[in-house]
Amino acid sequence: MVELKLPRNSTVGKGQFFPAPAGSKNVRTFKIYRWTPDDDSNPVMDTYEIDIDSIGPMVLDALIHIKNDVDPTLTFRRSCREGICGSCAMNIDGENTLACLKPVRDMQGDILINPLPHMPIVKDLVSNLDGAYAQLRSIEPWMKADSAPPPDGERLQSPEERAKLDGMWECILCFCCTTSCPSYWWNGDRYLGPATLLAAYRWIADSRDEHQGDRLDALEDTFKLYACRTIMNCTQTCPKGLNPAKAIGRIKELQVERKL
Amino acid sequence: MNATSPTHHTVMRSQLGRARGLGSGHSGTDHWIVERVSAASLLPLSGWFVIQMFRLGGEDYEKVARWGGKPVNATLLAALVATSFYHAEVGLQVIVDDYVHGKAHAPAKLLVKIGTGLLGLLGIFSVLKLALGRTAAKG
Repeated sequence: MVELKLPRNSTVGKGQFFPAPAGSKNVRTFKIYRWTPDDDSNPVMDTYEIDIDSIGPMVLDALIHIKNDVDPTLTFRRSCREGICGSCAMNIDGENTLACLKPVRDMQGDILINPLPHMPIVKDLVSNLDGAYAQLRSIEPWMKADSAPPPDGERLQSPEERAKLDGMWECILCFCCTTSCPSYWWNGDRYLGPATLLAAYRWIADSRDEHQGDRLDALEDTFKLYACRTIMNCTQTCPKGLNPAKAIGRIKELQVERKL
Repeated sequence: MNATSPTHHTVMRSQLGRARGLGSGHSGTDHWIVERVSAASLLPLSGWFVIQMFRLGGEDYEKVARWGGKPVNATLLAALVATSFYHAEVGLQVIVDDYVHGKAHAPAKLLVKIGTGLLGLLGIFSVLKLALGRTAAKG
């Protein structure tokens, strides 16, 4: 029923310590979550002292430095290193963000790095997002129109219609917002979460889509949509500066509008 | 959600199947509207009630019963009681949705409905007794 304590296998222990090499000038301490499925051991926090003058400015630079030069067993996702792929989403100093966009110098004290919260862990900083991806797929994030497209070109939108998609097409699906949402932690099996609802509204708001009603029907559910409690963590944490809470609010407004 | 977690049974159902689940319950909008309408209605009703209680503070039963016997006062009192417990029911449902999972979920929701319903009825009955009791006793 109500779980008040972490499961026994989730208690985080103390890990290894990797001191900075002699002669380092500007040393910062990184505490990084480590867990491997290879044995039955609990997760631990490993401590790495890094001379940040010798590496690039971002947290991702520090992680890459650790993997290349200090501890090759550290596992994390990364690809574009410029905030467009969403791979390096993780929890840095208590906030979900992209490691490649988070400057080390903006943070005080030890730098805590954890995987995205409340998701199953694949290894270390890699969380399993299969469920979240499937939820995204369940809202059918593609254009559905029954009218035939013009024979001589694509479906057109006015500049005003196109402007309604601003603030939504920019989402890179890093799921920082979804995994920051307490409501998603509590009911992630039924609540779709802010990233998926933002994507759902992106298609509801698209003037070329002809299935707004079906989309609203599919979302009208005590959990799928209405488990949103307007906690606003999603908007606060979004590394792209988007506002999923506003998109969810718009979906609720449309649900009301068609009922009254 | 984790198929390999030792604390859960192994789930081989596809992620998409789990995400779609039982589909939409086609409810939630009415609950959302009622949550807000009842909250907004409670503002003037509670304000009126607080003012009346200050006015009647320290008065004897006869005076309070005469006040409660007036149709407008009795109506507003009944509306206050009904709206309060309706709002409580709607709000407690949300807490149950958030914190009570598994087999206990449905009974907990039912319990909230029954509990707030009975308390609301008790309140309404008390208003009726206050409003009609005197006349009935006299008659």
